[in-house]
Amino acid sequence: MTKKQTAVFLSVVLAICAALIVGIVLTNGLYEKNADIQESMQDAVLHEGDKIWLFGLQVNPGLISAYIVTGVILLFALAVRIFVIPKFKTIPGKFQLALESAVGMFDNMARTNSPHRNNFLGAYIFAAAAYIFLGTLFELAGVPCVTAAGECVILPAPLSDINGAIALGFLSYFIILAGGIAANRARGLGRALKEFSIPISMSFRLFGALLSGLLVSELVYSYLSLSFVLPVIVGVLFTVLHALVQAYVLAMLTALIYGEVTEPYVKKRKNRVAKHETTSEKEVTV
Amino acid sequence: MPLNIDWQQILLHLLNFVILFAGLWLLLYKPVRKFMNARRETYEKADADAEQKRAEAERLRAEYEKKLADADVQIAERRERARKEAEAYEEERCRAAQQQAEAILSEAQASAERERQRAVKEARGEIADLVASATEKLVLHESASEAYDQFLDAVEHADNNGGKA
Repeated sequence: MTKKQTAVFLSVVLAICAALIVGIVLTNGLYEKNADIQESMQDAVLHEGDKIWLFGLQVNPGLISAYIVTGVILLFALAVRIFVIPKFKTIPGKFQLALESAVGMFDNMARTNSPHRNNFLGAYIFAAAAYIFLGTLFELAGVPCVTAAGECVILPAPLSDINGAIALGFLSYFIILAGGIAANRARGLGRALKEFSIPISMSFRLFGALLSGLLVSELVYSYLSLSFVLPVIVGVLFTVLHALVQAYVLAMLTALIYGEVTEPYVKKRKNRVAKHETTSEKEVTV
Repeated sequence: MPLNIDWQQILLHLLNFVILFAGLWLLLYKPVRKFMNARRETYEKADADAEQKRAEAERLRAEYEKKLADADVQIAERRERARKEAEAYEEERCRAAQQQAEAILSEAQASAERERQRAVKEARGEIADLVASATEKLVLHESASEAYDQFLDAVEHADNNGGKA
């Protein structure tokens, strides 16, 4: 065994011993419940006790998060528009490639799922996905804010507020409805109204998915013994993955249903002829 | 409202998202998409131009190959024609030379015949002259036997000269 191998072996043994000692210390009283957990989780869902003042209105923390996220995104977009886009090159650099990939992905998603009237749709799903993704990641920043009651809260993801999720879900539905009416008039309206469950399903999917992450995080942080290492895994699972998955799901669903309702109506004359022929054949055989 | 649903806050969220959507569309999505479309059109145009040039080059190549093939055929035809012309010319020259040779030969033969006839005629004249002179000598100066011998010698001599001539 060489000196290097010996050093590695000793380091591994020492690390295992240290981890075991930490585990032994932390598991002391692990299963004792924190008395405030129910209250904190209820606040996380309902926001009854942590309202924040905004222009004379008492609003949920999620709304403050939403405006902050929007401000940050718009500032970023403005900076890109002023400093980066005028210097775009035919052969893109890394940052330009990232921007083009993001725009191209949603543009392509809109074109493939909705071959008709997809110009507006691409921009909408791009904005919605950016909002969901960056808004969900926003909770990792841990921005503190003072409530109306004078307490300090960490601002959550904008869409973990049910009002934000309802707004985005219903807006997506109205976009689909408007697209259907613009493309197919009454038939498009009928097609869109047929999918009346979309706004509710979209809203509560977003709310449920993002709230679940928040609740699990609250649960984990409520116990001191779970506040080591585990939040990293939980944070990645329930924040980054949720951010990606929910952004993709809403964009994809909106594009798919928009494509269905804006599809031009084609009269099925061949089937009628075929049916007529088959019935006449039956008559002959009878 | 259950679950703390608040219509005012929903409207505030909607306002926020509409602002975000408009801003992102104008500031980011539209310019980037415009740039990408312009670049795609540039490449498509370049591609179409290249394809057009390739087709033109292909057409020209086919045309040149056809011309080359035609030129080969023409060269072969001309060569064959030249060969035939050369052969015809050669035959004509041969025929002319033959005719000329035959003409020269017949002329030479005619000339020789004329020469022979002239020589025979001259010989006959000379013989006649000799006979006349011999006869004259015989009659005037010598005896009959000598004259007869001289006559025979003269005739023999004349025959020898005429045969040579």
